[in-house]
Amino acid sequence: MSSNKSPKQNAFLIDLTKCTGCRGCQVACKQWNQLEAENTEFFSGEGYQNPPAMSEYTFTRIKFRDYQKNGQNEFAFYKEMCMHCDDPACASVCPVNAFEKTAEGPVIYKADRCIGCRFCMIACPFGIPKYEWSKGLPLVRKCTGCYSRIKEGMKPACATACPTAIEYGPRDEMIKIAEERLANHPDKYIRKIYGLEEAGGTTVLYLTNLPFDELGFKEVTQRALPEYTWQALRFVPASFLAVGGTLSALSWITHRRERLMKKQATVEQAETPAEEKEQ
Amino acid sequence: MNVASTVINEVKGYHGFIKFMIFIVALSGVAAMVRFVFGLGATTNMDDTYPWGLWVSFDVVTAVPLAAGAFTLGAIVHCFHIKKLEPLVRPAIVTGFLGYSLVCVGLLLDLGQPHKGWHVLRYWNLHSPMFEVSMCVMAYTTVLFLEFLSPVAEKFGWNIPLRILRWLEMPLVILAAAISTLHQSSLGTFFLIAVDKLHSLWYNPMLPLLFWVSAICSGMCIIIIEATATHKWMEQPNEGVLLRTLAKILPWTLGLYIALRTYSLLALSEGPLFNNPTLTLLFVLELGIGFILPFFMFISHTVRNDDRLRSHAALLVVFGLVLNRFNVSMFGMMDSTHIYYPSLIETVVTIGIITAHILLFVLIAKYFPIFEHHPETVDYSIPDSFGKVDDAVPKGA
Repeated sequence: MSSNKSPKQNAFLIDLTKCTGCRGCQVACKQWNQLEAENTEFFSGEGYQNPPAMSEYTFTRIKFRDYQKNGQNEFAFYKEMCMHCDDPACASVCPVNAFEKTAEGPVIYKADRCIGCRFCMIACPFGIPKYEWSKGLPLVRKCTGCYSRIKEGMKPACATACPTAIEYGPRDEMIKIAEERLANHPDKYIRKIYGLEEAGGTTVLYLTNLPFDELGFKEVTQRALPEYTWQALRFVPASFLAVGGTLSALSWITHRRERLMKKQATVEQAETPAEEKEQ
Repeated sequence: MNVASTVINEVKGYHGFIKFMIFIVALSGVAAMVRFVFGLGATTNMDDTYPWGLWVSFDVVTAVPLAAGAFTLGAIVHCFHIKKLEPLVRPAIVTGFLGYSLVCVGLLLDLGQPHKGWHVLRYWNLHSPMFEVSMCVMAYTTVLFLEFLSPVAEKFGWNIPLRILRWLEMPLVILAAAISTLHQSSLGTFFLIAVDKLHSLWYNPMLPLLFWVSAICSGMCIIIIEATATHKWMEQPNEGVLLRTLAKILPWTLGLYIALRTYSLLALSEGPLFNNPTLTLLFVLELGIGFILPFFMFISHTVRNDDRLRSHAALLVVFGLVLNRFNVSMFGMMDSTHIYYPSLIETVVTIGIITAHILLFVLIAKYFPIFEHHPETVDYSIPDSFGKVDDAVPKGA
């Protein structure tokens, strides 16, 4: 799957130059998904972010970064959430197909199928799936892209709550808006749409005025991740047949040779009984 | 006298070390129970940064190649027709069967939803290396079970199953090698998805092939170690002559591995290789001590013919393999600011699994004819009744 496979799927366009860091999205997410509150401290983690990390109770949060500008300490922040990849690594590695890339855009998780192997957590380049570590029989939790709202024609909870920064709509339109903004304000933005090519294309797109790595964005491959494993896995049927076939042929030959040698030995023995055939 | 007291009396007669092993296994059974009561978070040191810990790294990713002896030896003996190694086959199959059964146990402990493990059979995902490995492990454990049934059937004198098993022997050997090729290599495919996570000393597209070749090497080395150990501690005859033959094959497979590893490192790896001193040290230990040193040892005639040196070289390969699997599945993905180390419960469970393997091997060797395999002495003719073979009546009479 390439990044333009389904241009009609919905995407988030998050313009960080317009984000005020109000964390309304965080609250809306907790409310809509009925997520428990977490006991946290104000100064925890890398900056002023709260909760300190994404978890089974936190599907999105505003991540704060301290940085220096003209010798002054400044804040930068971005909204961390599931990127809803076009060709998601989590869905490709899951042995029971518990993840599904929906036509509407969100990558959804089917808890009833999940066996809890945590391969999705290893595979996700953005570190999004989280685990219910406190439970005896834990499941994976992650942002649903508010699939239940989208199906009813609503926007995701975080996009609805956001007063300034989040646009939500068909991906090709979101890309168009992003490109227009980059063209109209070349001095205001870093010339890059994060998510356009990352991990083969995602349905969360970011614009910013600060270098992405400084904000804490992960440097990820431009190729869709499932391709990396598929380039090995596609040889599975061939290697099964190759090994099975080679060994079958080999044992047929060796057994035949043994049979012929035995036969010859009996013939020779019949002709010259005194001579012994070595084993 | 009822069954329970018979069992108790039997256990009372065991060697002290066997009793100790039973205690360790029971202890780890309790630790495993604690995991289900208090959850993975409270009992293990795994977290969202390290979703896979000791249980995946050792009990699955390392234990599977360590149990590769059965399929390797089966192919060597039956397909490449080096028949004189046949006495080694049965102990190897028992080791393989135990190894794979315990992999399943370890996997069930590690899964969040073990009761849904069967979902793999229902919701196929052909793109998932985990799906492939699960299917193969299930299939191969079945194959090993069938192969393991031979000594059981001999013990109880079940002639008809024995004949069927004899007839199935070759197909099973070939199936075992083919299935093993798939899942041994697919364990390497697991980590191909960790593109920007696994250090480039280990990440390269040839990982599956490297996993397969190194599994073959370690499988043979485990056989050498096991035969040496059973000779030393279980009063079995010295199979040194046979192990010498096996040791002659090893330089070839080890050489192939080292060549492939070097090629993949030089030609296929992307990114800086030696930018982290700890990882560089682990890499040097793994490849230098664990593969290159034993390669040169096995080339030497003296080492191959000396029981002690030979088993030492084999131990080095096993060390190299274990370190390699840990490097790929754990150390190579570690973040130096947040280190994972196994918790007490994780450690106890893994030690228990290793102990269970040794314990069950010793007990099976005690009760079933796994070392005394002489096909020519077994009567495979179909008897008139389904009763036991009467040992008093001479064979073929």
